[in-house]
Order: sequence, then C-alpha cells, then structure tokens
Amino acid sequence: MKVSFFETARYCAPQALPSEWPVPSGAYDRDAGARAYGSMIERLEYVEELGFDWVSVSEHHYSPRILTPAPIVSASYIAARLRKIKIALLGPIVPQSNPVRVAEELAMLDTLAQGRLVVGLLRGTTNESLTYDLNPAEARERTDEGMELILRAWTEPQPFGWQGRHFQYRTVSIWPRPQQQPHPPTYALGTSRESCEFAARNHLGCGVSYGSFEAVGKATRYYREQCARHGWQPAPEQIIYRANMLLAETDEDAQALLREQPNQRPFSMRPGVSDALMKLDSRNIAGEARAPIVSGALPTTFIGSPDTVVEQVRRCRDVVGAGVLDLSLHPPGSGDLEPLMRALELFGKKVLPRIRDI
Amino acid sequence: MPSAPGAAFSERYVEADGFRIRYMEAGQGAPLVHLHGAGGLRLTPGHDLLSRRFRVVAFEMPGFGQSPENNQTRSMPELASTMAQAIKNLGLDTFNLMGTSFGGKTALWLALQAPERVLALVLEAPAAIRQEGAESPSGSPEEIARRLYAHPERLGAIPMPDPAIRAKTQPLVQRLRGPDRDADLESRLPSLGAPTLVLFGTLDSVITPAMGRVYKDLMPGCHLVFVYDAGHGISTDRPEAFAEVVVDFLERHEAFVISRTETVIHP
Repeated sequence: MKVSFFETARYCAPQALPSEWPVPSGAYDRDAGARAYGSMIERLEYVEELGFDWVSVSEHHYSPRILTPAPIVSASYIAARLRKIKIALLGPIVPQSNPVRVAEELAMLDTLAQGRLVVGLLRGTTNESLTYDLNPAEARERTDEGMELILRAWTEPQPFGWQGRHFQYRTVSIWPRPQQQPHPPTYALGTSRESCEFAARNHLGCGVSYGSFEAVGKATRYYREQCARHGWQPAPEQIIYRANMLLAETDEDAQALLREQPNQRPFSMRPGVSDALMKLDSRNIAGEARAPIVSGALPTTFIGSPDTVVEQVRRCRDVVGAGVLDLSLHPPGSGDLEPLMRALELFGKKVLPRIRDI
Repeated sequence: MPSAPGAAFSERYVEADGFRIRYMEAGQGAPLVHLHGAGGLRLTPGHDLLSRRFRVVAFEMPGFGQSPENNQTRSMPELASTMAQAIKNLGLDTFNLMGTSFGGKTALWLALQAPERVLALVLEAPAAIRQEGAESPSGSPEEIARRLYAHPERLGAIPMPDPAIRAKTQPLVQRLRGPDRDADLESRLPSLGAPTLVLFGTLDSVITPAMGRVYKDLMPGCHLVFVYDAGHGISTDRPEAFAEVVVDFLERHEAFVISRTETVIHP
C-alpha cells in the first residue's frame, strides 16, 4: 500500500467565522493565511521524512476549509521545496477550467518537479459549480470533454483544432510536454459510472473518496470490470481511496476524537441553494443514484488504534482494491495542529511500516 | 417534424468517360463538390447545413449505389480523373472539394491531377493513409452502423446501404483503395498546395484519428481538427460541429484559426 498525505493548508482562524458557504472574503485574516501557508512546508518535510509516497492537493473555493483555490500554485510551491515526494494534484476542476491551459500547467509542473507529478481530473464538488457560474447540468459533459482534450493536448505531436461540444479551439500545440511520457500517472476521480468508464476507456487510474468501503468498492469493481472490457487490468496503484482517518494510541481515544467532531460540514450553503443544487446534480456510484454530500460531515472510515487501523487498511485493500490511500489525518479544516502532528507521527511509526505489504 | 436529410437536394446526371453519373445538388454560392466513402452516397444533415452556404454537388461515383457495376476503372487516380471530367462537364472550372473516407483518397488524387482547379480541400475521416491492418466495416447493416458512427441513433431515417449493393461495390473498393500506406500518393502530397482541412472524429474506430498527424506532416497547407464525440461518419454524428468548421475553413482558409466568437454578455 502506498500512502498520500492530503495537504489542505491549515488555516487557524483567530476569531469565529461565519458558518455559511461562501464564507465572506472580508473575514479572512492575512496573518493567519500567511501562517497556514508558512507551516505547510515544515509539516510536509516531516511527512516526507516519515516515508509518505505522495502529498496531494485539491481545488476548493471561497472558504478557509481547504485553502488551495489554485492547487497548481500550491503544488508548484511544494514541488520546489521538497525533493523526493510525489506531488499529486487531485485535481483541477475540469468543467470550469480551460483544458488546454490545464494541460500546459500540468506539463510545466511535471517538468519543474522532474517527473514527480501525479494528476487527478474531476468534476468537482457540488458547491463548486457556483464558484465560476458553471451550470451544474452541463458539468458532467464538460468534464468528460475537458479530460479528453487534456489527454489529447499532452500526446498529439502536431498542432490541432478541437471541435467540441463545450470547448472549441482552432490551434493547440503545447510546450512543454510532460516530463513523464506519454503523460503523468493520471486518474479520473469519482465514483460515477461515467467517470469509471472514462478511466477504463482511456487507460487511466480511478480515484474514489470518503464513502464506506462497500460503497466505493462498488465503483472500483465497476471500474475494473470496464477495464477488462477494454482489454486491460489496472495495477493496485491505479486505484486511490481518499479518506478521513482518526488515529490514536487506543480505540477509546480515537472514538473520543470522533465524538468531538462536528456532525455538520463547516460552511454549508443556504438550504434554498443546496436543495436546488441537489435537484440538478445527478451523482451516482457505478450507476446507482447517490445524493451529493452538500451539508453533512464527511464520514471517517479509518478510526482506532494502530492495530485497528492496520486491520481496516487490510479490509480496504480487499473491498476497495485501493493501492494508494490519500489520507486526511485529523479532519480537513481543523486548525488544531498539535493533534494532527501527533497523529502523523503515530501513523508514520506504528501504521505505515505495517501496511507497506498490504 | 424536420424533413429527412437531403430533402432539398435534386437528383441529376452528368456523363463522363462513358459513365452516366448521378449527383445530388442543392444550395447557392461557391461550388462544393463532395466525393463519398466506400459505402456510397448518403446525404447527411451535414450536407443540408453546407448547402445553406455553398452550391453542394454530391456525386455518386461510377459503380456505387444504383449505378451499373464498374469494371472499367482500374485505379484511384483513374477514378479521380473521371470525377474531374464530370465536374468539368458541369461547367465547374474551379471548386471546393470534399472527400469522405475512401472519397478522401479520390479527392487527394484529383487535387494532385488538377491543382489549379481545387480552391480548397476538406477530408472527412480520410482513408488515404491508414493504420496497418485497418479493416473496413463489415457484417449486417446494424453492425456496420455501430462501427461507422459514435451515435448510430442519430442516423434516424437515413437508410443504410442494401447488402446487395455493398456486394456489388466491394470488388471496386478493394481494387481502388490501395495499400494502407500508399508510397506513391504520400510522395506527392508535399507538392499539394491547396488549403486542406483534415477532420477526424475522436471516436473513429475505422481509421485511427492518430493518422491525422501524417497528413499534417506531409502537406504544407494542412490543418488538422478533431471532432469530439464523433466516429468515422462525422457529418452524421455531429453535423453542426462538422458544418461549422468546414464552412469557416472554406470561407477563410488558413485565417480560420482567428476566432470571431463574440464574448460580450451585455453591452
């Protein structure tokens, strides 16, 4: 099993914040922001030292919970400061991007990082369709088309035009091309039938997140079936599972940590908005309808002492088939850094060495 | 209820090299001659859209469709020469030329033989340069449709060719299509100066879209455009996307790379 640390740039708010998303920009504290980014490298140097394989970043907007609206910037910054660890950009929200620009930026970053880039492409969480005025009804189609265009831009040696449904270009011919050939390890992120099929058709990896092993296992099983249909078999490393982990010395301590967690996601949208979004946003797991998580807390699927967590990782390997765990140790958005560092140390010393062979 | 594709086209005939050649015509403006693929002439919604801007002349080449079996034409350059004569006999000295798949190769030979007559060239999923071992679609009409189109459901009322007609044209197609890589043709392509647009559907399962880059390598005036979510039959799978880029290219040639899309939302 490989492990990835999900870096969210921990913002410690000096005073209570409004609870709605979008969080008013005026509530931002510059010093707290500087500290959030400043402490990132020190933490990641430790993560690298502990033997994590990847550090991952993701794209979220208009809130301090995950303070990386432009993940290409944080990924570049991390790549410049750390030497060995792979940088997993999971990932640009494809439907609201210029796919050619994404292809260029990722190729440039892969080259700057000397071939250490891992890429995840995705549709984005439901709330993000509000960020740049993306029509949620078009998000799926724009994602599929954008992903295909990114792959084409990376691999086509001649200048070409793209006569798409949502994107149109007469001239595409990117420089630089990716350092890794034909392109960096790339994953389609999501549990949907469409996402699994896209990944299988294009020989990409598949990334799932947060759901129970059984729920996301349905998606990864479907993904593997589709790969077989296209005549290939994914390696374990081609399945990423992103999850929350609450790790403590004992199971009791871990359960106590869970009880301290809020059971609401911080920064929810107003009900009138989230209800309307729910109706437009058809999400599924391998074809079975699934409501998007728009306000509830994300589940924690690894919880307990090192012994317990090692067993859970073993079960995850069996049920989900994941070869990479992308972990939030201590919930994202928590500015409580001390327990995070303790959990990291415990994970690095008592869990990581025991899950390598799983 | 929209009318069937090609409803506005009228059927006519022209003589050339001893053949009586059927063609369908619609529209006003600069002439756009179309040479069909190995399955024969089939008017698509793409033809209708093109006929709003051009005088579209879509030929049924000798030996295809309802025409008598063609045992006379020995090679693709010979077929190109017959078609050049037919176009001349219609009084068209200069014209835009579009070839689909098999007809893409005919169009290339025609442009090589009469470069001064071809204003611009459009190749829809051309079969002139094919990946090694490329196989033509075969089987039942339904199987052929699934191979040709990413969206066979969009075929609607367009009839697939009669298997008997297919059997009649197969020997001609086999005789004329030439090798997957035709060294003679490819050695001549660098001399072809006509502005050329090569289109491939991203889901083409007959000719891999990667062949597009070979045209671009060989031909100085070549532009390559991928039509997303289209198979081999681009003008059926995505007629609007197909016609938009073809019209723009024929009107502006290489300046078609300059966008005219307006992005002002409110003045």
